[in-house]
Amino acid sequence: MEFLLELLTEELPASHIRSALEQIEAGLRQELLAARIDIASLKTLATPRRLVAAGDLAEGQEDREELVTGPPLSIAKGPDGALTAAGKGFARSQGVDESRLEAVRTAKGEYLGFRRKAQGTPTSDILAAAVPRILGSLSFPKMMRWAESPFRFSRPIHGLLCVFGGRAVATTFGGFRASDETVGHRIVSPGAIKAADFAAYRAALEKSFVVVDPADRKKMILAQIDAALAPLEARAYPDEALLDDLTLNVEHPLVVFGAFPEGYLGLPLEVLATAMREGQKLFSVVRDEKQLPYFLGVADAVVDAKGLIRRGNERVLRARLADARFFWDQDRKVPLADRANGLKTVLFQEKLGSYEDKTLRLKKIAGYLCDKLAAAEVKAAAVEAASLCKADLLTEMVKEFSGLQGRMGGLYAREEGLPADVHRAIYEHYQPGSLEDDSPASPAGAILSLADKMDSIVGAIGVGLQVSGSSDPFGLRRNAHGVCKVVLDRKLRFSFPLLIDRILAAYGDRLTLGRAEVKAACLDFFAGRLRFILEKKGYRYDLVSAALGPGFDQIVDAQARVEALDALKSSPQFEPFILMAKRINNILKGLPAAKVNPDLFVEKVERELYSTLSIVSSNAQPMIARGDFARAQGILFKLQPVLNTFFDKVLVMAEDKKTRQNRLGLLQSIAKMLLGIADYSQIVVEGERTAKPKA
Amino acid sequence: MALQDLILALHRFWAGQGCYLAQTYDVEVGAGTMTPDTFFRVLGPRPWRVGYVQPSRRPDDGRYGENPNRVQKHLQYQVIMKPSPADIQDVYVRSLRSLGIALEDHDLRFDEDNWESPTIGAWGVGWQVLLDGLEISQFTYFQQCGGIDLAPVPVEITYGLERLEMFLEQKDDIYDLDWSADVSYRDLRLREEREFSEYNFAAASVAMLRQAFNASHKEATRLIARDLLLPAYDMCLKCSHNFNLLDSRGAISVTERVKMISQIRSLVNDIARRYTGGKDGA
Repeated sequence: MEFLLELLTEELPASHIRSALEQIEAGLRQELLAARIDIASLKTLATPRRLVAAGDLAEGQEDREELVTGPPLSIAKGPDGALTAAGKGFARSQGVDESRLEAVRTAKGEYLGFRRKAQGTPTSDILAAAVPRILGSLSFPKMMRWAESPFRFSRPIHGLLCVFGGRAVATTFGGFRASDETVGHRIVSPGAIKAADFAAYRAALEKSFVVVDPADRKKMILAQIDAALAPLEARAYPDEALLDDLTLNVEHPLVVFGAFPEGYLGLPLEVLATAMREGQKLFSVVRDEKQLPYFLGVADAVVDAKGLIRRGNERVLRARLADARFFWDQDRKVPLADRANGLKTVLFQEKLGSYEDKTLRLKKIAGYLCDKLAAAEVKAAAVEAASLCKADLLTEMVKEFSGLQGRMGGLYAREEGLPADVHRAIYEHYQPGSLEDDSPASPAGAILSLADKMDSIVGAIGVGLQVSGSSDPFGLRRNAHGVCKVVLDRKLRFSFPLLIDRILAAYGDRLTLGRAEVKAACLDFFAGRLRFILEKKGYRYDLVSAALGPGFDQIVDAQARVEALDALKSSPQFEPFILMAKRINNILKGLPAAKVNPDLFVEKVERELYSTLSIVSSNAQPMIARGDFARAQGILFKLQPVLNTFFDKVLVMAEDKKTRQNRLGLLQSIAKMLLGIADYSQIVVEGERTAKPKA
Repeated sequence: MALQDLILALHRFWAGQGCYLAQTYDVEVGAGTMTPDTFFRVLGPRPWRVGYVQPSRRPDDGRYGENPNRVQKHLQYQVIMKPSPADIQDVYVRSLRSLGIALEDHDLRFDEDNWESPTIGAWGVGWQVLLDGLEISQFTYFQQCGGIDLAPVPVEITYGLERLEMFLEQKDDIYDLDWSADVSYRDLRLREEREFSEYNFAAASVAMLRQAFNASHKEATRLIARDLLLPAYDMCLKCSHNFNLLDSRGAISVTERVKMISQIRSLVNDIARRYTGGKDGA
């Protein structure tokens, strides 16, 4: 039977709509499952004013047979098998014919009882109870109250349509009794609409200029964009996020095509695109990757017969572009170096001081990274870029369009005639904004990006700003992902803990927590982020654990280790080797360190193992140091046959203490070398259940 | 429709909704929200409906009369309805129709925008209202003011009068607006914008402004102790305006900014607590 739910509200933010639909669908599925109502289909839809669910549900619960038990059989029946007074009383009180009574065996003994059909609850009753529960538990990032209502919701509620099988469900929510009515488009057709099922609902809304399915609205927008641009042989600059938001911002999309004066094409593309997107939510129009003096907007309207919507948007955009050109002209009058003097008045973080303080640190950190990365040729550029990179926070353009920070500084630096290394580094230093975003293309840009992000992370952790659950006020996760991405993309080799030390030193006594504590918290935080990133890349969780086991002096080594393990995991030598490594770990577990003395070897195979180890070790160490874990691992496999013989022929836990210590020492040297590659004990192998260490 | 006709039309419309028409407040404020007709009246349980024009000073927005959209003083038409009526969005839409705007030919949007004013401990949830891409109003369900949760919840509607008038007159330059049939916005305001921009950015005496800030702050503290809350609140408004001027003179450092805003807020929160009969503030 058909189910239809619509919560009518004032205009909801797009992000709230997405989250509410997920919560509603999950809530309905969970409630219906718990109530044993079969779901043939269920979907959610929305407009800015409507949260909608529609589906096909079973009419009610299946009827069930239930067992009713009465007094113990010993009391209910006499020795002759006839019912006693107690037995007859039970039948009477239950209104059941004595012939239907039977003996029921339970854990406590035999009882008198009978079976009866229990009628299933109708779905409409289940929905009447479930719908207010589900809607009442919706949570939003920011909730509000209104009037004298006791409710908190994303925006005020205006009505509840809830029908099942063509009839209104007897329920209420938010002070509204459920009905089979709603209203049409706020401006064009605000009258009441009746709907007994989804098809009627959808059709009636469409007549009232509301397209209820976001997928339909998206198709309309794309088709109208194509129609507008076909004569120009141009295309809208792709922006999925904007398209998705606009789809949720309108009930009836109308694409508006407009133009702006060609003179504004002299502005940088970044500025044009931002001026159009921010505030007015316009798409820019390009042909062969070149900006054209047009835009596309999405209105919530039916027609623009008089061209008023187009002209209104053109006027607003002209004013914004006039502003942007004014900013562009004004900002270029003051060199970035002069502007940077004002950074002492711009707050970076309350406890961490101003952007001038940050700039001074960035110069030191960027210089340090250049030294460690042997990037002497870009050191001057990286340090100069560090001293200028935050100056654009004081430009009018960035004050107006904050999303242009960094990029704007780079453009102004280019206009000033600063070297390419410098202006590119400034331009790129906020990149990557996410794991999907590109890393800086220039070496100095990569270094500055690392310095900036690490400075923020160490500082924030140093004053106790923690990441917890969904809350990450300082963007630490995003910054950490940026750091890892830059390092992994460019395969940068430098000691990560030492970088943290350098940054802690640059902060001096500004941080509120102790240095050792901050450093440990940073390493811990990055271990978590690296695990997330590597698992996201598709590596098995146990291989990731093994790769992170040795710690990560070098961030690149964490990935190199897991790549090596992943590459070798299907080799026939891999599994026996892991089992061997685990066996060694098990033997050594909890034992104190012991020394090897070659003179104390008793068996020939001990000496063989020792000399193989020396050769393997001297070959593998340089590879480990280089981060070439796959080849080092390949060499380590050579230990396998001699180790097998060793375990077959030698009892590690020998009676003689000296012999025993010497053998343990030998195994410890092996374990130590293995840990240079990975913590093998973390890896799960098939044969593990059967193979048990003998020693 | 000239600007003064727009004001008359809004007065007539909101008077029809039961609003008392207040006179413009005579202390400099950054927004209509800050005058006593909003600040004190949204506190507490008593229903309240008011509409008024309030010149709003944002010293930093001065452009020496050279920008067609930005001015250091603009006009807000401020409406408070408490408690917020269930049909307030429809009422607002009708107010636009009453100005002769045929909304069927336009694109009217309620676009997520949450408002807050840290200086007076106030925040709310709502939208900026866009008409063909132009922001013409802020529409806010006020949640907190002076640090106090508001119950019942008032709705605040703020029309940007110059913006709306530019839409009505289809003009690109604020100074081309007609104030009345024969007085233009240019006649009335251009010289003021030039001179005040110079004052805000260059001529104002930083030493005098600091003194004034400190004197008003001290006075507010003294008046609060004597339970003279309305005069004390005026002093807070003076602090706020002097702070804005110091800011546009570029005279405020990072740590100072945080400190000065929190100095004003703690006075304002104290006033709100006492006004609502709560305990003395810390």
